[in-house]
Amino acid sequence: MTQILFKNINMKDLQTMKVYEEQGGYQSLKKAFAQKPEEIIEVVKASGLRGRGGAGFPTGLKWSFLAKDVFPRYLCCNADESEPGTCKDRELLLKNPHMLIEGMILCSYACRIETGYIYLRGEFHDLNFIMDKALEEARAKGYLGKNIMGTGFDLEIHTHLGAGAYICGEESALLNSLEGGRGEPRMKPPFPAVEGLYAKPTVINNVETLCVVPYIINEGAEKYASMGTEKSKGTKLVSVSGHVNKPGNYEVVLGTPMREIIYEIAGGIPNGNKLKAFIPGGSSTPMLPADQVDVLYDYESLAAAGSMLGSGALIVIDDSVNIVEPTLRLISFYMHESCGKCTPCREGTRWLYQIVERIMQNKGQLEHIEKMEDICDNMTMKAFCPLADACVSPVMSSIKHFRADYEEYFKNAPVGSV
Amino acid sequence: MSDNEITLTIDGKSVTVPKGTKVVDAAKQVNVDIPVFCYHEKIGPLGCCRMCLVEVEKMPKLMTACTMDVMPDMVVRTTTEKVEKAQKGVLEFTLLNHPLDCPVCDKGGECPLQDNTFKYGPPDTRMEFHRANNAKATPLSPVITIDRERCIACQRCTAYSERIEQDQGLVMLNRGFYNEVGTFNNEPYDTRFSGNVIDICPVGALTNTDFRFKARTWDLTNTATLCAHCGCNCNITMGTRLNELMRVEARPNDAVDDGWICDKARWGHQFVHSKNKILTARENSVGGGKPTSFPAFPHDCTIQDAAGKVAKAFKKIAEEHGPESVGFIGSPYATNEENYLYQKLFRQSLGSNNIDHKSYQDTPGLPVEHYGVEQIETANVVLLIASDPTEELPILDLRIKKAVTHCGTRLVSLNDQKIAMDKYSSQSVQYRVGTEALAIDALANGLARELGESAPAKDSDKTGISVEDMKALVETVRSSMKICVVYNPAALSGDAVLRVKRLLKLIAKVPTMECGAIPAAPMTNAVGAMDMGLLPDFYPGGVSMTNAEEIKKQWGENAPTTKGLSALEMIIRAEAGELKALLIHRSNPVIDFPGGSRVADALRKLDLLVVHDMLETETAELAHLVLPSNGPGYDEGTTTNIGGRVQARKRALETSHAPDWKIINLMLNALGDKTDYQRVLDVTDEIAKKVPGYQEVNRRSVGKTGCDRTPVVSADETVAEQSADSGKDGSLRLRVAAFLFSHDKILDASSKLAHHFLPSTAHLNEKDAKRLGIQNGDTVLLCAQDITLEATASVNSHCQPGGVVVPRASDWQGVNGLIAADGGPAWVEVRKV
Amino acid sequence: MSGFTFSENQEKEIAGILSKYPFKKSAMLPLLTLVQRAERVISPEAMVAISEKLDCSPAYVQSVMSFYTMYHTEKVGKYMILFCINISCQLNGCDKLLEHTAKKLNIKVGETTSDEKFTLHREECLADCTNAPMMRINDTYYGGLTEQRIDQILDSLD
Ligand SMILES: Cc1cc2nc3c(=O)[nH]c(=O)nc-3n(C[C@H](O)[C@H](O)[C@H](O)COP(=O)(O)O)c2cc1C
Ligand code: SF4
Ligand code: FES
Repeated sequence: MTQILFKNINMKDLQTMKVYEEQGGYQSLKKAFAQKPEEIIEVVKASGLRGRGGAGFPTGLKWSFLAKDVFPRYLCCNADESEPGTCKDRELLLKNPHMLIEGMILCSYACRIETGYIYLRGEFHDLNFIMDKALEEARAKGYLGKNIMGTGFDLEIHTHLGAGAYICGEESALLNSLEGGRGEPRMKPPFPAVEGLYAKPTVINNVETLCVVPYIINEGAEKYASMGTEKSKGTKLVSVSGHVNKPGNYEVVLGTPMREIIYEIAGGIPNGNKLKAFIPGGSSTPMLPADQVDVLYDYESLAAAGSMLGSGALIVIDDSVNIVEPTLRLISFYMHESCGKCTPCREGTRWLYQIVERIMQNKGQLEHIEKMEDICDNMTMKAFCPLADACVSPVMSSIKHFRADYEEYFKNAPVGSV
Repeated sequence: MSDNEITLTIDGKSVTVPKGTKVVDAAKQVNVDIPVFCYHEKIGPLGCCRMCLVEVEKMPKLMTACTMDVMPDMVVRTTTEKVEKAQKGVLEFTLLNHPLDCPVCDKGGECPLQDNTFKYGPPDTRMEFHRANNAKATPLSPVITIDRERCIACQRCTAYSERIEQDQGLVMLNRGFYNEVGTFNNEPYDTRFSGNVIDICPVGALTNTDFRFKARTWDLTNTATLCAHCGCNCNITMGTRLNELMRVEARPNDAVDDGWICDKARWGHQFVHSKNKILTARENSVGGGKPTSFPAFPHDCTIQDAAGKVAKAFKKIAEEHGPESVGFIGSPYATNEENYLYQKLFRQSLGSNNIDHKSYQDTPGLPVEHYGVEQIETANVVLLIASDPTEELPILDLRIKKAVTHCGTRLVSLNDQKIAMDKYSSQSVQYRVGTEALAIDALANGLARELGESAPAKDSDKTGISVEDMKALVETVRSSMKICVVYNPAALSGDAVLRVKRLLKLIAKVPTMECGAIPAAPMTNAVGAMDMGLLPDFYPGGVSMTNAEEIKKQWGENAPTTKGLSALEMIIRAEAGELKALLIHRSNPVIDFPGGSRVADALRKLDLLVVHDMLETETAELAHLVLPSNGPGYDEGTTTNIGGRVQARKRALETSHAPDWKIINLMLNALGDKTDYQRVLDVTDEIAKKVPGYQEVNRRSVGKTGCDRTPVVSADETVAEQSADSGKDGSLRLRVAAFLFSHDKILDASSKLAHHFLPSTAHLNEKDAKRLGIQNGDTVLLCAQDITLEATASVNSHCQPGGVVVPRASDWQGVNGLIAADGGPAWVEVRKV
Repeated sequence: MSGFTFSENQEKEIAGILSKYPFKKSAMLPLLTLVQRAERVISPEAMVAISEKLDCSPAYVQSVMSFYTMYHTEKVGKYMILFCINISCQLNGCDKLLEHTAKKLNIKVGETTSDEKFTLHREECLADCTNAPMMRINDTYYGGLTEQRIDQILDSLD
């Protein structure tokens, strides 16, 4: 199996500069600094790397969108990792912080950025220490600071801790939070590349995205692009959780069959149960029923199957579960995390919660399904940010594929309970 | 079509609008109504409520019209099936937890939520759960009630607090469904501009506590009129019922108020129902010291008789003692029509130029352009001189903040005290109290040197301003492309105002520089009073006494052309027994003029004192004869704001009493003038004919939003050398500062604002306080002119050492008594009790 | 309002924090976190102190503070237990374990033990799903929870 990000992931003391450098760490810098910044962007473009934070936007392209000639510019590494099911960034940060720093240096050089922030979710206080220590080491080595390696290029990177808000993973909410405000998303346009942090051009990338960059610089765009499918290049970390024998973060080449990930890599379903459903890309992506297990794990195939690759969190659900239960849990999550700024999200998530909760109390009726579908329609693409759509995902997909599970609850429903 | 215009199609109608316009505003141009809750033109887009969703060709999803800039050839549709479904959906969400209590809600009848629901909403709600039980009406401040239950979390109010007021007193608390509007630690939200949130709340969540349950909105008679408080002349709507003032709301006028009013405008008009209103003409049995030889008013005296008697009494004295023996102190609060007629009465019928309206020096006109307040937003630099907009002209405060934070304007100031606006200025230069003339000269000299004009080589160091600071200020002024100088003549002592004019002339000489000024005296119609010639040395329209030919042409052969007495001089002459008769209109010199008890004593010496006012005052108490004035709310006429904009003040309340202009008309008639004005507009028309600058002002041009008068000419003043005087050992130079909510007779009737009243306070510099052994919070005595005034010491760096700043906290504080009657420099001794 | 002052060490730390950002306000979350960790609660007085440091209104501090779940206006215990109940943990039986934990601590979820030692909160996904069911106590993540393991962990804390 090709391992780029996880090659040495369990090596002892990989988090130290010494071990990281022994494994070839920071080698990409010399190579990069020998080229013009724009050339680096072209290399990343050619590699076909797409953002690993959820939206899958081509990374090189994103970098090239920065407002021309406006400085200073900022880099924000999105280490908010809050999408239920996702825990890959945590493992990278915990075990290999220098890889992120190296990636951030490369990005900053390419985009002429002099200040970077790593926005860690508030619960990652432990990682904050690790990251700060690694940054300190990098500074001591001269990889950060003024005139890095004699190139005249300056860069400082700081960590910044959030404080408990899923929405701060959304890039513009992250910026507000980093500026010391409430984590409410911002209007777009202007996009961060034009007016981001402190109203300056800003690159926002996921941890995993940035961690891939050193490999691309070291090994070349072609090598990276040779992996994966036509439009989904390279490898992807997938956090497999739920009902599997071997839950864990795995690095797979894009295009690997889902069946292989669930049954081979993650060891299959425990307790002799059967696969019922799987959520392929984190809780915000629509769930798919067991009969779709042969879908390939890449952006296009999952989209064709009616879901998304998302953040790469595969949640496996076996047939012991009534789908309505996890669905309610996810609605509850989105209700709790809605920032409350816009009406459809603030009110819709709560209304859906109330209805599904009532269904689970055996007080539901068939009309409820219709009503939920309509509420979902009124939320879809009508809210300020994608959080409302994320909440709609599990609801609509559970209704679509597991209507029978809802009907289970109606069977016992007393008449006229509304 | 210029590069800055964009043409698009909305519901099939083509519209061309400036770049940067939001789709929702573009739609208004072609009468397409896109429903909104959170969007407010002046606050800017928020995108919270999602009510404004529209379909845009080539866009996959519905777009919010309020956040979207117009783009060339955009095709917008607002009535498609998709849009209608979305609107219904959003309304359903909005109403989910909103109580359906329209019948008892204050907003009922003028509620956007009610209207939108009626127009776009679902027939009924499918909500089957209990509505959220948010708190019902609770006080948000002494004057604002919040019904959190009704709040739809549109964030207009909090965005207003953040973007317009810019002090973030009102904020969103919590998250998601638990979002609520609130303040820090539940403290009251009681800023100077808090009331605007009532106007902008699209539901009945924020309401006027005073108005709640008093009347239904549809029972109100609404009158578009003007605020009577400061020189901004903000536009307001007075809602009345059964001839009682129920509420005041903002009536947006971009050229004046930008859509906002201050809390004094909103809650400070209760004086219209004050129990101290003067309602009839009367003779004061407890009048002045001397018995008068003039016929007393009989009890049933008609206003005709009263006016006639007053006029004839003045005539008699003028004939006996000469025209210099009579005088008129008018009012910077009266309308142009009243002021115009009074000066006409005194000049034409009594032959006297003893006419004034103020206790400081000033002359009409500016040597540069007279900027309107909206020019602040387009200026590169705004220079404040002796001006504290927050306390004096609050809406200017909002304008300047907007300019600084949104329009790239730089604010600099030259002041003798710290002001709230300092937070927004790039340079605040502070001179010692009393040294304004030297400070202004230093700035002017600096410029003169740059321009190669003659100027002293060195500036006085008495101002306490460092050479570097002054250099930097000179440089900012010199290098600004467009500068707007805002100065408060009423806060400038001696002839400093003339020095400002010299400074303006110099600024105008800087090549490629646009320059204008706003004479920012706080009083409602200070500019109008000067324009109307309530001055001893100028006829209306700034025509100087030296221009005798012009005066005779306009005002007849008998028009007096010798300079008359200023208001302060009249008081001194009265004291000396040389001034025999004085008519005072809407002014209270006993309290508002320097001199304190000396003013009262002087007035007592008059043979005849007539006070024409709307409220009982200390001055009216001394009058032999009192005439009633209707005053704001009841009166009509025009006023001219600090930006030279003339607007119409309308009558909101009925009265059977003769209006002031009529009373003056009767006086004129009694002295042989035949003009019979039928309506106040006849006076306005005469002003247009007779007053330079007002040619274009008439009923139609004034319209709803007013019109700018053309600038009146400015005299060419020369200034004398100035030397800084000094006080007795250890005494401090007094500066009386303005305070917006001063507890005066006007606000006394507005108990709703009592929470803003300030105790008597004296700001002392730390250095002086240390020397005098005074600590913060100590009670101190300020002594001067045989007067002792108590105040609480506030030890800080509000002013430089050597000065003491006393905000005018109330009429009863009597701070003007500390100043000598001639208005000269006031030195006070400060000691701890 | 007075009554809250930063210690000398904290002042130093604050200076360090402020130096990270071109605009002071960015230090909002770090300062709130500093206070929360030191005091286990954020009092109105502390909000005023922060507002003074950052040149903003106390209302603004409260507005920001109240948005995030990790700041508390009621003092939390010495050990803050965040028990993940999101989907991966739910599928792995966290509900029962949470119930067990509450019972063991003799409090309801959301409460603090009377000795102020433990506070137990239900928490959304903490990004350790592959170790579900999991919880976080102060800065430490504990995965693969069972009743026994929970007992062991809790007993080991003093
Ligand atoms: C509600 C919401 C939550 C998100 N949470 C995260 C997150 O926790 N981590 C992340 O990297 N991206 C998250 N994103 C995606 C970011 O907005 C953004 O697309 C991403 O950081 C860009 O980085 P990339 O191009 O490297 O993927 C979230 C998006 C939304 C709408
Ligand atoms: S109180 Fe009114 S203006 Fe403020 S958020 Fe609520 S509905 Fe909007
Ligand atoms: S008016 Fe457009 S979102 Fe509220």
